[in-house]
Amino acid sequence: MPRREHLLKIGVSGVRGVVGEFLTPSLACAFAQAFGTYVDGGRVVIGRDTRASGEMLQHAVACGLLAAGCEVVDVGVLPTPTVQVYVGATRARGGIAVTASHNPPEYNALKLFNARGLFFNRYERGDLIDLYHQSAFRQAANYEIRRITPDPETPARLHFERILKRVDGDRIRAHRFRAALDAVNGAGSLVSCRFLEEALGCELHAIAVDPTKPFPRAAEPRPEALGELSELVRREGCQIGFAQDPDADRLAVVDETGRVLDSDDVLALVVEAVLDRLPGDVVVNLSTSAVIDDVAGQRGRRVYRTPVGEANVVEVMQAVKAVVGGEGSNGGIIFPEVHLCRDSYTGMAFLLGRMAETGQPISALAARLPRYARKFGETAYEHGLLGVLMQALEDAFPGAELDRSDGLKVTLPDGWIHLRASNTEPLVRLAAEARTRQQVEDLYGRVMQLVADTGPRQ
Amino acid sequence: MAEQKVLRISHVGLRGVVGSGLTAAHVLDFASAFGTFLEWGGPVIVGRDPRASGVMIHEGVAAALLACGHDVISLGIVSTPVIQHTIRRLEAAGGVSIGASHNAAEWNALKFFGPQGTYLSTAEASELLDIYHLKKFNFVEWDRLGKLRTDENAIDPYLDELARAYDFDALRRFKVVVDCCNGTSARVLRRMNERFGFGFLLINAQVEGVSFVHEPATTERMVALQLAPLMQPLAADAGFLFDVDSDRVALATEEGAPVSEETVLPMLADYLLPRGPGKLVITNVSTTALVDEVAARHGGKVVRAPVGRQAAIDALAGYRPEQIAVAGEGTGAVMMPQFRFVYDGIASMLAILSMMRERGRKLSEIVAGYPRYSILKGEVPLASGRVPAMLMELRQRNADGVANTIDGLRVDWPDRWFHVRVSQTEPIVRVICEQRGEPPERLFEALLDFVRGYS
Repeated sequence: MPRREHLLKIGVSGVRGVVGEFLTPSLACAFAQAFGTYVDGGRVVIGRDTRASGEMLQHAVACGLLAAGCEVVDVGVLPTPTVQVYVGATRARGGIAVTASHNPPEYNALKLFNARGLFFNRYERGDLIDLYHQSAFRQAANYEIRRITPDPETPARLHFERILKRVDGDRIRAHRFRAALDAVNGAGSLVSCRFLEEALGCELHAIAVDPTKPFPRAAEPRPEALGELSELVRREGCQIGFAQDPDADRLAVVDETGRVLDSDDVLALVVEAVLDRLPGDVVVNLSTSAVIDDVAGQRGRRVYRTPVGEANVVEVMQAVKAVVGGEGSNGGIIFPEVHLCRDSYTGMAFLLGRMAETGQPISALAARLPRYARKFGETAYEHGLLGVLMQALEDAFPGAELDRSDGLKVTLPDGWIHLRASNTEPLVRLAAEARTRQQVEDLYGRVMQLVADTGPRQ
Repeated sequence: MAEQKVLRISHVGLRGVVGSGLTAAHVLDFASAFGTFLEWGGPVIVGRDPRASGVMIHEGVAAALLACGHDVISLGIVSTPVIQHTIRRLEAAGGVSIGASHNAAEWNALKFFGPQGTYLSTAEASELLDIYHLKKFNFVEWDRLGKLRTDENAIDPYLDELARAYDFDALRRFKVVVDCCNGTSARVLRRMNERFGFGFLLINAQVEGVSFVHEPATTERMVALQLAPLMQPLAADAGFLFDVDSDRVALATEEGAPVSEETVLPMLADYLLPRGPGKLVITNVSTTALVDEVAARHGGKVVRAPVGRQAAIDALAGYRPEQIAVAGEGTGAVMMPQFRFVYDGIASMLAILSMMRERGRKLSEIVAGYPRYSILKGEVPLASGRVPAMLMELRQRNADGVANTIDGLRVDWPDRWFHVRVSQTEPIVRVICEQRGEPPERLFEALLDFVRGYS
């Protein structure tokens, strides 16, 4: 069976696709009109990242919103978390960010937010998609059509203010940290420079901060894409380096030696920083490292686990009133006192705050965390055979703790492995962790063998 | 009772009542069809009239054109002639005018222009319609999408062209009052005041998107409403009324008398025929016979096409530009060869002022130089299926006149004529008749009764 290309996906997470033949302006317009109908008119905020198709799609989205009788507030090119903060703070009816986040440049997507600037829950998303398919949109007459109001400046100001209320800005600024930044020429390009230089008083060495240029590296800030940032950190003698994805919700961190920190460890450092200041529990997804359990356990806090996906983590964080959360493997840090969303800026501020507080280099802070070996991967698999595979896994690991809320997670005394089907491709994604490299390789290898045995693929 | 149509997609473009007829989906599809139709190379110029729905339509048009790989230059709220002028000036691939001209505020429309700022020919418009109906659009890959920029200063180069064609130094001495009907003319005329020292007194000059102060029609009745009564108190030399996108104009004399919109074309024929080599006046079958009489004075000839802009464009294409003196219709929409045949109310106004100056006559004196023609216009609801039989019988009953059947039926006698045709926008039959001198009341009533007999 040829591997299916997922050129367009319309589903409960919104619309995502390859721009051109697949993600067309008509489709974006209709989806936005469905959104405008769902929120029943009123003020809706639109923002976007820097991908080439953003401008075209933003006009299509504005058309659909206006046609539904919404008033449009255009904040232009801005990080997704900044848009979300602004939606919530200005009591808009909702918001749309035109961004495909970490996906390659030919993709784009619409991220949809409710009046509080949060992802819609799964039921609301279901309602919206039904409305889109029914095409029964609000059709505003001339006198009901509102304007487009630009507001490019307020959002970042609001966002920075919120963060600076939660960290010791004076102390951070007093250190005048030498920081490096790689914003992938994305929505963070201009905002991140202002944030690090002006708000946090860093001496900044930045690359890829031209929002008019294409992405110079892979959009996702994975370690293998951050060679230039590591190089910059070493060359300029920086104390820390930050990398973002095109809509600046995800964060990756390079230490002063130029080594890319494990993203689970980055989340753990932020969780530590938050838990040392505030009471409350932690929510992470099933694929996130046990280091979070260790860090929370040391402080007598509880860790809740959710299916993978920002919306899932946010939903549980709201329900349990968690004080911090995130997704380890993809660099998502969520601190609800700023906003219930993945926010690279909150992450940067907390890490610099921790360095200022302890006077230690970031590598030393990371080295103090409990050590784990981790392995991630994916393998082709037919979705119809997943049930058989999961049963085989249960049989292979008798007595293990099992969680079936998102694929299958098997937790053993000295490690765990999590398998889940991709939403978009005929793939199984695997995440595994153990105390030693040897243990994790053994566990991963054993499961891959089971996958091979149960999946009759050529 | 016949219901008004709320959406019309034709060779002329896309037109409808926003929301109930014309939706965002129509806009996206039609603009995508235009983006597919246009050759690449050169930007596409987009402008709009002040209707509130224009913001929504502009966004959709921009998205579709960008998606088809065209750069877009957005002029904001400007008159249609400014859009057409900008297309020529920037050697653009084409342009889109978003505006419903003389229709009520709840309507909007898209008009499409090719390179040179010309209206699409019928052949081109057919191709555009076919692409629209097939819904197979050339959306380009993500790295070839167009870019949008705005140009807020397109009015100035347009005025430079008018300044070369007319003697602004002489014309600005006239005291002129203008009813802008909350439309785009306000922006152009205010700029003429600022840049060239004109003293246009503007009323209803606030550009407005939701409700116009009065119906945006260039009719005698609308002139009489606010403009005409101001003429004597303000001691003005002339008064002009524009529709929302400034392609049509109507007049008031210095004495405060409204002048029928039918008179604009004959006046301009009177002015232009002696000035150039062109001896043809192109108009439609519903337009006053005064134009024939005036043309005959200067050895000119009237060519009559079916009603509607598309028919006029096709008629123009049948002649060399230098053969034509002027073209237009009885609605006050006139186009002149030196402005590449763009319906332009402001250019028409400047021509009328030039005529007053060159002849040293007051506007009322010029108008008094034309014999009186009285025109009566009415309408009768009639199902489309009954139309051919009605027209056939009408022709047989009036066999003593000269019949013209290019658009419904027109019958001419030496001093009077009538025209019966089907409306393009409503399921009604329009009845127009005109007579030199007194109104042809009996003929008019007889025609209405005859058509009613079929409904």
